[in-house]
Amino acid sequence: MNLAIFIEQILNGLITGSMYALIGSGIALVYGTMKVLNLAHGEFYMLGGYFTWYLAVSLGINPAIAIPAAVAIAFCLGMLIQKLTVEYLILRDNWAFTTIAATMGLSIILQNAALLVFGANFNTVPSYVSGVMVLGDIRISWQRVLIFVVALATIGFMTWLLKYTRLGWSIRATSQDRDAAQVVGIPVKRVYMICFGLAAALGALAAAMLAPINAINPWSGMPVLLKGFVVVVLGGLGSFPGAIIGGLLLGVVEAVGVQLTSSEWRDVISFTLMIAVIWWRPWGLFGKK
Amino acid sequence: MFKPLTQKSWAGIGAALALALVLPLITRDPYVMHVMVLVMIFAIFASAWNLVTGFGGLKTFGHHAFFGLGAYGSALLALNLGLSPWITLWLGGLIAAAAGLLIGTPILRIRSMPHVAIVTLGFAEIVRICIANFSGLTRGEMGLWGIPQFEGFTLPGIGKVTFSPADKVSFYYLALALLVLMMVVIVRLMRSKTGLAMLAMRDGEDAAESLGVNLTRMKLMVFGLSAFIVGVAGAFYAHYLLILTPASAVGVDLMISIIAMVLVGGLGTFAGPLVGALVLTVLIELMRDLENYRLLGYGLLIVLIVMFLPRGLVTLRERLFPRPQE
Amino acid sequence: MATEPTPKLMLDVQNVNVIYGNYQVLWDVSMQANAGQVMAVLGPNGSGKSTILKAIMGLTPVRSGKVIFEGEDITNRPAHEMIERGISMVLERRRLFTGMTVYENVMLGAYHKSVQKYAKERLEWVESLFPILKERRDQVAGKMSGGEQQMVAIARALMSKPKMLLMDEPYLGLTPRIVGQIAEIIHKVNAEGIAVIFNEQNVKLSFGISNYGYLLESGRVMLNGTGEEMMNSDVIRRVYLGE
Repeated sequence: MNLAIFIEQILNGLITGSMYALIGSGIALVYGTMKVLNLAHGEFYMLGGYFTWYLAVSLGINPAIAIPAAVAIAFCLGMLIQKLTVEYLILRDNWAFTTIAATMGLSIILQNAALLVFGANFNTVPSYVSGVMVLGDIRISWQRVLIFVVALATIGFMTWLLKYTRLGWSIRATSQDRDAAQVVGIPVKRVYMICFGLAAALGALAAAMLAPINAINPWSGMPVLLKGFVVVVLGGLGSFPGAIIGGLLLGVVEAVGVQLTSSEWRDVISFTLMIAVIWWRPWGLFGKK
Repeated sequence: MFKPLTQKSWAGIGAALALALVLPLITRDPYVMHVMVLVMIFAIFASAWNLVTGFGGLKTFGHHAFFGLGAYGSALLALNLGLSPWITLWLGGLIAAAAGLLIGTPILRIRSMPHVAIVTLGFAEIVRICIANFSGLTRGEMGLWGIPQFEGFTLPGIGKVTFSPADKVSFYYLALALLVLMMVVIVRLMRSKTGLAMLAMRDGEDAAESLGVNLTRMKLMVFGLSAFIVGVAGAFYAHYLLILTPASAVGVDLMISIIAMVLVGGLGTFAGPLVGALVLTVLIELMRDLENYRLLGYGLLIVLIVMFLPRGLVTLRERLFPRPQE
Repeated sequence: MATEPTPKLMLDVQNVNVIYGNYQVLWDVSMQANAGQVMAVLGPNGSGKSTILKAIMGLTPVRSGKVIFEGEDITNRPAHEMIERGISMVLERRRLFTGMTVYENVMLGAYHKSVQKYAKERLEWVESLFPILKERRDQVAGKMSGGEQQMVAIARALMSKPKMLLMDEPYLGLTPRIVGQIAEIIHKVNAEGIAVIFNEQNVKLSFGISNYGYLLESGRVMLNGTGEEMMNSDVIRRVYLGE
């Protein structure tokens, strides 16, 4: 294998990883604030892909408008779903199990609703930008470059949001100590709702960016959910920065792993890595015990 | 759980068993028999999942891995080594149990429920992909067919018993025997000292630990037993349907159906998984025309049950006619 | 002590019952707290003295009974509404946002929209009350000592310009020297006209700084009165002072 191809694969891994980071950070955000493991998270990705496809392809809207619109719809849908289900469940005993079971049920509902509405076809969206970036021997399509840029911008935006805005403060405070957050007057329920919405939006954005590369079908959520889980296990469940690093790391590990084996073993590599990490450092690679 | 069975519950068990035994005398319709065999396979699977999740408090979401391992393990041993399905049935269970012990070891150290859910889901995904990828052996997504059937035998006084797709009655009785056997194992385990320790473990790990219960060994044992039972169910499924695909034997849809059954019936009860398997399987068969809505219905059921009837159908009577509080 | 000639009723708790699962924690608890005074809620572990504060703050659902604040029914209203109405709370064991800085912790006390506008002036005030807050602005709160954390927690609660401050076991786990400091702070807070309700196991410690108090046992009010009355009661002398 020559060096240029190897570097190209690593870069492609980082690009895929940046999308894993977006997906994983949504799971981390929801788990971090309300300690809920959302098994329906993959479906936000899947629906985000469909929304983008519907707006950009079926209605022919410019992707620059269609993508933000799809993300906004996912945000509202996420908030609605949280309001209707999770909000009740987290108040009860046994919530850790019931929220997992209920979001698993939700995932099936959304999957099959998508199947009924959009059919079983694999839908693709044309590339948002065409051409290939050439750097010496390294060639990467501009579409992938765009994916990476959007991911970095989103991560930057989320970091700013969490660190410097009122909303961000209330999210961080709620995730660190829910009772204390309530006591200083943070409307914790609203924070939960917004976090669910943000997570859904992050998943939908990842789907929108990947839509030209990965076809959208009703079952595309589940594999993405599992990848998201690997990411949050690597980074420590509930840690936003952990999910970002975990996502990029997973992308690179998969790229190298696939070079050494073949692409059909990609998922086995990442799940094995995840189980190994849980065995060795259940609190994540970077977090503290 | 440890109160001796009342006469009423003995009567209930007896009536259910008698009904199950005489059903083929009432109708030998292959379709009815087929549905009932599926009900019993699911009932075994559901009871074993309930054993770890409902009684053991170890919330796993990847038991379909053990079903698939039992199914493929038994089918491949019978196909390639020429062993009798009567033997590979149990070997399939042992393969699943071995896998259960393997994956059980890392998850038992974790008390965090989300981590357990993630690891078990991930493990099942590994099993499914491996079965799909090792297509030289398993024929991958093409499906494994030509699985040997159970050999017939002669039963004194009754005559020759054969297992063929045309006559499902013998499968029915075999499934019933397996179900009764597994239920006896589960009920006896839960009514033993070990069972008490398990419930203590579920209701408070620290308390159980201070009782001197060796948590890790106990959990591992329960996990392995549960995997074994599911593996046997999977092996029976393989030699009953005679064709396997990764999606049908290790698909996450299978796990979701089982979870729906246990939740509908009642998590953490003996009868719940049985009731749930019966109700859901029969219900789905009655609504065959709505096949496209089957999973949608399962999803809705899970959400509604979790939100509004968290302890399942078997507690419905209590919910409707609550006993006065002391 | 800032005692007014005729104490004005501020908080009226009427026959409150609180049940956790199958276990009743409070039985028909009634208590009255006056504006500008310091009230102590006494009782042993498990007497419900924390629960009553949480019930007032809206952190624990009240099964029956009423909580009236300044003439308005606030029973089972969410905590952020209490902030708006002028009640603030310091939780047991401080409960800081341990991963955030001192400054962030304190400023979060002025999170609520209704109090945001005071943030700057309040910050100056609490920093004059606790100079250490200014020195350690950018330190991560989780790395401070217990006494320092308690100061941050009180400062945080004062940011919302409360009329009444609830303190859940403010002395818990602190050294005697720090306890003295906290008592002094309670005085200072009260001198600003803020009513204080705190709970504590130690009777002698409590009456040093409170005008009056209630004694809870197994979720029921056993006794109430001024510090002097209570110190002289048979129950207190026998059970708590061991005389």
